[in-house]
Amino acid sequence: MTDVPAVSIQHLTRVFRLPTLRRQTVVAVEDVSFDIAAGHIYGLIGPNGSGKSTTMKVLLGLLRATEGKCSIFGRDSARVDSREDVGFLPENPYFYRHLTGRETLAFYGKLCGITGAALKDRMGELLKLVDLEHAADRRLAGYSKGMLQRIGLAQAIIHRPRLVVLDEPTAGVDPGGSRKIRDLILALREQGITVILSSHLLEQVQEVCDRVGIIYKGKLVKEGALSDLMSVEDQTEILLRNASPETLQAVRELIASRPGTDLVSMGNPRTTLERLFLDVTGGSTVEAREYVK
Amino acid sequence: MPTDSPTSPAPAVPTAGGHAGAHTRHRFFSPGRVLTIAGGTFTQLVRMKVFYFMAIFAVAVIAASFAFADLETEGQLKLLKDVSLAAMSLFSMLFAIAGTALLLPRDIEDRTIYTILCKPVPRLEYLLGKLLGVVWLIFISLLLMDALFSLVLYLKAQSILATQMEVIRSMKFPTRDALEASIAQVEDTVLAQGLTWNLQNGVLAIFFKSAVLTGVTLLLSTFASSTIFTIMSSLAVMIIGQAQSLARDVFLGTDATMAPKIIAGAVSLVFPDFKGFDIVDAVVGGTPVAGMIMLKMGGLTLVYLVIHLMAAYVMFSDKEL
Repeated sequence: MTDVPAVSIQHLTRVFRLPTLRRQTVVAVEDVSFDIAAGHIYGLIGPNGSGKSTTMKVLLGLLRATEGKCSIFGRDSARVDSREDVGFLPENPYFYRHLTGRETLAFYGKLCGITGAALKDRMGELLKLVDLEHAADRRLAGYSKGMLQRIGLAQAIIHRPRLVVLDEPTAGVDPGGSRKIRDLILALREQGITVILSSHLLEQVQEVCDRVGIIYKGKLVKEGALSDLMSVEDQTEILLRNASPETLQAVRELIASRPGTDLVSMGNPRTTLERLFLDVTGGSTVEAREYVK
Repeated sequence: MPTDSPTSPAPAVPTAGGHAGAHTRHRFFSPGRVLTIAGGTFTQLVRMKVFYFMAIFAVAVIAASFAFADLETEGQLKLLKDVSLAAMSLFSMLFAIAGTALLLPRDIEDRTIYTILCKPVPRLEYLLGKLLGVVWLIFISLLLMDALFSLVLYLKAQSILATQMEVIRSMKFPTRDALEASIAQVEDTVLAQGLTWNLQNGVLAIFFKSAVLTGVTLLLSTFASSTIFTIMSSLAVMIIGQAQSLARDVFLGTDATMAPKIIAGAVSLVFPDFKGFDIVDAVVGGTPVAGMIMLKMGGLTLVYLVIHLMAAYVMFSDKEL
């Protein structure tokens, strides 16, 4: 770990000019500032049109900032060389559908200067990692949504970037595939890779992120460590296993006897729908189209 | 972060070799990256089955070789050359305009461009790669068309020659010298109209012209709002380019001042003078084209390509994606 943040966004403002005669403008992002420490998973959340994608595009050099600065590991993100450290998986990635999975990885690997045996080895590693060895020589036109996301993730990390930006990586993917992608994100953090995750699946963000930024109407309205943001300061949670009705009654009475303490709720904790689904299906990630052969 | 999620052990991400960004130095310009994009573009167009056009070309050439068999020798071979070179010109220009016009809008629409430009790929390399990919496709397709055309023309010339020889041998000549002179004359006439190196200059001129048109189309596609607009405006540039030398002569007249000359020069940069590439008629007619002319044509093609690529880069470098 270094002291230089993986990502530093300072007073970022981005104004779009509308294609109208009256030269109207729209402020997509306004004075957004935050840092992401190396090795963290950072969740960027907000409703549609809130400015998440614009922020990411400026960070990736696809858009210029109207005001403010972005840097990646200390390098100005508008510079092409800063992208050596970045891997990006866009929302709904449409790669070249005429290429096979292997050809796709070779294409992006060569763009990053990886060639020969090193490229071949890296492609083999990644195809195994994202569980696409069986479909490596099939054209992407025949891939399912989950398979496309997984090959997309593989191309994003083919050059071993220190920062990976994922825009809705599990959009449209079934729960099994979604879990697989989430596990890959966690694996990236274990290797010290910084991840920026933009997602509408708040439960998933909650599960994997260390810090979260909430963007609303172009402004960063809340930002901080997830544990700090999530804790309800004036409430305490106690989970009991195999408690008898008598024990529960005793707890209730004890609480009632303490002035100023209120019992907010008591009952059985609920599982998540995702967990239930995975328990019932055995966590199967087999692609439906695998059966159509 | 909750710890009770149904998380299976995280798969190990292979990292042997360390992070690329930490160990490599970015190169300002990389021929390897350009060739990768060019190769990808070439593959993309080939897998879009553009070579199916070759079947139409083959039919046209073979049909022309059998058509008008009652024409005299010169006429038959001229017709074959005319049809073949016109078809080559048409198809290569079609590849140049339609192939190039599709590339950028499709990459932007499909967001494939995000994944490319998010790698350490400068936008100039991206454009150059696309340009070279289309030019490479045109070169290969012309090479294939030229090979077929040359084979058919050679066979046709040999067939005509054999027929003519039979006719001559059936005729009576006063002396052996007169017979040999007659044979030599027929051979010279047929072979001059048959397969010659001079014909390859015509094919090369078609390639140069298509390459320039590719550059123009690429430039237009960097700011055009749709593929159809790019195609239509490229066709317009081609037509204007074909007629511009005539318009320039009228505009400048014989005693033009400096200002009209500068304007005419600027116009010729935007609208390439395609008339300067038209040597096909001369080649079909058997007029030899000097090597220096071809060299100048190649140089002009290179100049146009560089100018249009740079202009495309200026338009594309700040394009909001």
